[in-house]
Formats: sequence, structure tokens, C-alpha cells
Amino acid sequence: MFFHIVLERNMQLHPRYFGRNLRENLVSKLMKDVEGTCRGLFVIQVSLCVLWANIEPLLLLENRSTWFVVAITGIENIGKGLIRDGTGFVTFPVKYQCVVFRPFKGEILEAVVTMVNKMGFFAEAGPVQIFVSNHLIPDDMEFQSGDMPSYTTSDGSVKIQKDSEVRLKIIGTRVDATEIVCA
Amino acid sequence: MSGEEEEMLLSSNGDEFLKAKCLMNCEVALILEHKYEQLQQMSDDPMNQVSQVFEKSLQYVKRFSRYKNPDAVRQVREILSRYQLAEFELCVLGNLCPETVEEAIAMVPSIKTKGRAHDDEAIEKMLNDLSLIKKFE
Repeated sequence: MFFHIVLERNMQLHPRYFGRNLRENLVSKLMKDVEGTCRGLFVIQVSLCVLWANIEPLLLLENRSTWFVVAITGIENIGKGLIRDGTGFVTFPVKYQCVVFRPFKGEILEAVVTMVNKMGFFAEAGPVQIFVSNHLIPDDMEFQSGDMPSYTTSDGSVKIQKDSEVRLKIIGTRVDATEIVCA
Repeated sequence: MSGEEEEMLLSSNGDEFLKAKCLMNCEVALILEHKYEQLQQMSDDPMNQVSQVFEKSLQYVKRFSRYKNPDAVRQVREILSRYQLAEFELCVLGNLCPETVEEAIAMVPSIKTKGRAHDDEAIEKMLNDLSLIKKFE
């Protein structure tokens, strides 16, 4: 889910950027440093929901505050700069508003399937990758291999393949060390 | 450059997010498109300047926005705000647009917890109002 929040960051600026364009330089450095980053990393477990049978939620393992910064929408305040001892760099505390994406346990969201294999399928929801293991896919759906691998119901009425849109429920989160992946 | 710390103004245990301002996909689409246009005016090649996160988010919200028109988006938020929902609940309903009361309760079970003033009729009225906006968008 997307949120609009206010964050604060201490930005260090080299003296070559001082002068008339100080504020602009600070803001563009902020954007370069922050937009597109993710604070903390997490793995999320999801289950297919709503249309199919109830799946018992797993225990919540950890719930750290982690999110992706999608875009900065405005600068609220830039505080007074402090010169750092010994280097000449100046640190400015900057308060800014931004759009972040943070998935939540129990949240239901829509995603696009990117890859299907016999272990399950991968999907994407905004900046976040999701993996749904075949254990969490309803029993009446079977894996069909071929040019376009998919999970299909026995009567062929529902098919999950690349580029299908699915609704997923997030049932737990875990912190991972390398990247943001949801499962 | 090392030594730059980031602190969240809200507390960092995650629960505060439940009180933070949530955005529906359609609202995020308007914000990101506006930002993209600003970048287009400033340079010839905006695609190079935006991060992959931005691009993916923009594609995602455009694909999954139920309402495209800014007035419709505003109306949706206004209507849902009349029903004493938490921000989180409002956005899930606005994003997924359930058609029946059962669907809505399945998506946001918290609207039916004890002590809240949402009976089935109120929920049905809310869903009807939402679908009207879609019809006349």
C-alpha cells in the first residue's frame, strides 16, 4: 500500500555547491540519494485469497518498519547547516514529504504475474517482487508446463500465467538481507 | 558519503503507519504522472532520470487504478471519508472496489469488528455510491 509520509534526513553538502543554488543542489542531491531506495528489506508471505478457500494465516515473524521511497513530493523544511569538524562539509537537516510503498500483513493487493514454474509463481506489485509457493495455491489448480506455463483449474476456467492479474493476501513478513521479495 | 542518518518522524515500530495518510492507487497515479510531466519539461529524457522503483510504481498504479479522472478520484475519497473508516480501510476499498458486502468484509474484516457502526446496510450504501462514480466517470 502506498503512504504519504514525512521523513527527515541529514544531507551533507560539499562547499562547491554553496551559493545561489544551494537549495536546489540540496534538493537534487536528496532526490538522487533517496528516491528509489528501500529502507530495510523484507520477505512477505502471501496466499491467494477472496475467490478461493480460506488459508490459515502464518505467524507474524517480525514487523520492522520497512518501505520503498517512490517519489519525493515536497520539501517541508531545511534546517540550519552545521559545519563538520575537519572536513568543511556542511550538514543540513532536511524534512521532506514523499510517497512510500509498504506492504502490510493482512493486506490484500493486486499484482501482475511475471513468471510461473512448478515451485509456484512470481508476481510484481509496484516495486515489490512477490513469490507464491505452490503450497499456497489452491489444490484444484495444477501446474501446466509448456510454452506458456500456468496454473489452471481442472475445468480450465481459471488460468494463472505470465501477465495475469491476481489478488494476493499478505500473511506474514520476514527480513531478508539482499533484496525485497515477497512470498 | 557515510554518516547520513535517517529518522522517521513517526515511530518506527510499524503501527504508526496504520494512522499515517494512505494513498489509493488512483491518487498515487495522479501524483506520479504529475511528477513525470514536470521532469519531461525540465529535460529531454525523463526516463533516464527516474529510478526503477518510480517506473515500476507508475506502471503499477496506472494499471490498477479504478478511477482515472481527478474529480472522480477526489469524490471517491470524499465519499469513503464519510463512513468513519481508518485510512488503511479506505484505501483498500478504494483500490479493490468490492461489489458486494461479503466481498468488502472479506477484504477488510476490521469494518465488522464489534463496536463499530458499520452494519450491512451502511456498507452496501457505500459500495453503491462508489459504483455510481465509476458509472459516471
